Amino acid sequence: MAVTALALGAVAASYARAAADGAYDRLLVAAALQIVESVYTVDGVLHVDPPFSAFETLALAADDRVFYAVAGTDGTVLTGYDDLPALLRGEPAGGLPALGDARFLGAPVRTVAVRRYVPDAATPGWVRVALAQTNEARGALARDLTVKALALLAVMMLLGFLAALFAVRVALAPLARVERSMRARDPKDLAPIGVETPREIAALVGAIDGFTERLGRHLALLQRFVAEASHQIRTPLAALSSQVDLLVWAERGAGGEAEERRARLMRVRARARELARLTNQLLDHAMVSHRVEAVRFTPVDLADLARGILRGIAGTLEREIDLAYDGPDEPVRVLGEALSLREAVANLVGNALKHGARTRLEIAVRQRDGFSEIAVIDDGPGIPEADWARVRRPFEGSGRRGADGADEGGLKGAGLGLAIAEDVVRAHRGTMGFSVLPDGCFAVTLTIPAAPAGGAA
Amino acid sequence: MPGRGLAAGFRGRVLRLGLLCALLAPRAASALETHRFPAPGAEALTLAVHAATDLSAMRPLIEDFQAMRPDVAVAYTEYVTAELFERMRASCAGAGGVDLVLSSSVDQLLKLVNDGCARKLGLPASGALPRWTRWRDELFGFTFEPAVIVYNRDAVPPEDRRRTRAGLIDLLRARPELYAGRIGTYDVTSSGIGYLFSAYDARGGAVFGRVMEALGRARVTLSCCTTELLDALASGRLAIGYNLLGSYAVAAQRAGAPLQVVIPRDYTVVLSRAVFVPKGAPQAEAARAFVAYLLSERGQARARAGSFVFGFDGADVPEADGPALAPASAILRPIEISPELLAIQDRAKRARLIGEWRSAVGAPSPDPPQRP
Repeated sequence: MAVTALALGAVAASYARAAADGAYDRLLVAAALQIVESVYTVDGVLHVDPPFSAFETLALAADDRVFYAVAGTDGTVLTGYDDLPALLRGEPAGGLPALGDARFLGAPVRTVAVRRYVPDAATPGWVRVALAQTNEARGALARDLTVKALALLAVMMLLGFLAALFAVRVALAPLARVERSMRARDPKDLAPIGVETPREIAALVGAIDGFTERLGRHLALLQRFVAEASHQIRTPLAALSSQVDLLVWAERGAGGEAEERRARLMRVRARARELARLTNQLLDHAMVSHRVEAVRFTPVDLADLARGILRGIAGTLEREIDLAYDGPDEPVRVLGEALSLREAVANLVGNALKHGARTRLEIAVRQRDGFSEIAVIDDGPGIPEADWARVRRPFEGSGRRGADGADEGGLKGAGLGLAIAEDVVRAHRGTMGFSVLPDGCFAVTLTIPAAPAGGAA
Repeated sequence: MPGRGLAAGFRGRVLRLGLLCALLAPRAASALETHRFPAPGAEALTLAVHAATDLSAMRPLIEDFQAMRPDVAVAYTEYVTAELFERMRASCAGAGGVDLVLSSSVDQLLKLVNDGCARKLGLPASGALPRWTRWRDELFGFTFEPAVIVYNRDAVPPEDRRRTRAGLIDLLRARPELYAGRIGTYDVTSSGIGYLFSAYDARGGAVFGRVMEALGRARVTLSCCTTELLDALASGRLAIGYNLLGSYAVAAQRAGAPLQVVIPRDYTVVLSRAVFVPKGAPQAEAARAFVAYLLSERGQARARAGSFVFGFDGADVPEADGPALAPASAILRPIEISPELLAIQDRAKRARLIGEWRSAVGAPSPDPPQRP
């Protein structure tokens, strides 16, 4: 930029100098011609009468010094500065004025020489006029022109810069639209970018669309793999459990050796069951995590979800526990993935039944400040506050006080229930909280942003 | 030539055809007088002013300047214009201890400045003084002096006091018995200012040739110097003076001479007395201050209160009959301080103009030619 400006400045200065020279050279030549025209002869004797107008012409360069001389046909100086003609090198060709630069009386001057043939002089020949003028006015004009040209140049460069800025902004506006569209879209939306774009960025948008499509195919593959893996792993596990059961049944004989084998088989059965449970949870976790990432959210009624879960476990309880639902009859909606949410709440309920609830289990649902809450409350010992952060992580287990894991082979309920719930609620931009209620009951609460008003039911 | 530097014995004598004046010039050069104005305060330096202007005209300005600069003494050396020109041409660059050069022959000053004698003073353009009074920031005109026609009131009745050149020609033709031999003007061969005025008159057109012719028929009296012409007019030996310096004429009238000053109504040639500081001036700073003072409002006011009664603003001078000389007036023919003056200084043109003048007024040809 600076180099360009310097180069342009040099060009401007050179043009300005040429323009100023051109303008003032004309004046100089005009004055010289007027002087040479004033030469006349009387009886063969040369006379010259430099006209006022010649000097008026030169005085247009108001502050410049002027030197001149008129030399007769024999070379003697008729008038003016005697030593000026010697200064001018070369002869003017024909009638053309010869311009040049020199120094005279200590000042740089622009010179011009013109001549005229005088046939009726005593010695016919050329009369020459030498004229010199200092360069102050032309220098001032050149400087003035340069400064103005540079000012104009600066303005033009500024305008060009602004125009380029504007053009770039306009040209890149489709990119900003693409960006906005990408930001605004649902993470699960893998459809092509539907923004109209100019040809210049069509390739980019096409590449993004292609990548998105491949990502969608990979996700679908993964989904199928998980589903198949679930099936493929669950089936042999179930078979393994049945075989162990059969073995236990077959070893019903008495005797120390048989007893010992039975005890071992019982331990194998417990391990197999634990493995099955863990496997199921892992697969569930994967399924749930995958679902909340991949499936589009729809309005889900938490109240209905809570009542459904309570109905589902009502007949399966192994001990006497009061089940209760605390919430409104009308729907409490969130935008979410129904299956995952159900899985999360079911895990909380399962945890409560397994480790907590002594006599009572309640699911509370309510709407508050733009959030929907669903809480699973039991009258068990709850989780010590020190473990509240830890239990959210997979395989850290619920570690509930009084958890009974002895008969399960000391695995102490290590599981994924709370981790799954945590993942699901996060995917719904919600939080999971633990609290101990005033009546001593323990509550696990999922807080999820409520569905926007007017959302489809 | 406004110089008063001639020997006192010649004062008041009209020198017919200017012969004596021309002969006197070299003699006057050897009789240069330097007048000292001691510094009013503690004297720090002496400003050497070399001038072709009456000391009496410059005295109030010098004294007023010294009131502002009490440390400056002034040594005022008076010349006739041609002597000053020769002196400066001889030692232009070195200037030989000259701090200030002041003359009414602005063509000579311009030639000196054109040859590179002067230094730039860096004086800002003044609003009161027109552009044509300065050149190159080196040469500065500071007075406004129209060329006028002067009548002796006793010798010329009011109806004969013509206001234009054509009127003057008619008068000389109509009443030769009254005015023949009683009209005077400068001898252009010996008077720098006379040459300058007639050269500009000649630019004015055909009428000047007829004036010259009429003057020649009326047996014009020629003189080198304004003072001598004015003395002759005051005493009645001359009735009419043509092309005299208006400022001196008004001053003479104020001093009691029975004169009538008329500013020509057809056109008026105006001279601005000028000053420059030589390159080698020893006291350049004080010289610059003096020039600045001359151009300042204070200096201009002081000049008008003294000898230089006309102002650049064209304000009316009651003693002078004539049109107001407003700066934009169409009849104003200022002698512009510009390279135009080089044409006046041209030796070929000078020879031609003087030749024409001489043949017109009938002056004898073997006059010693004065170098430009």
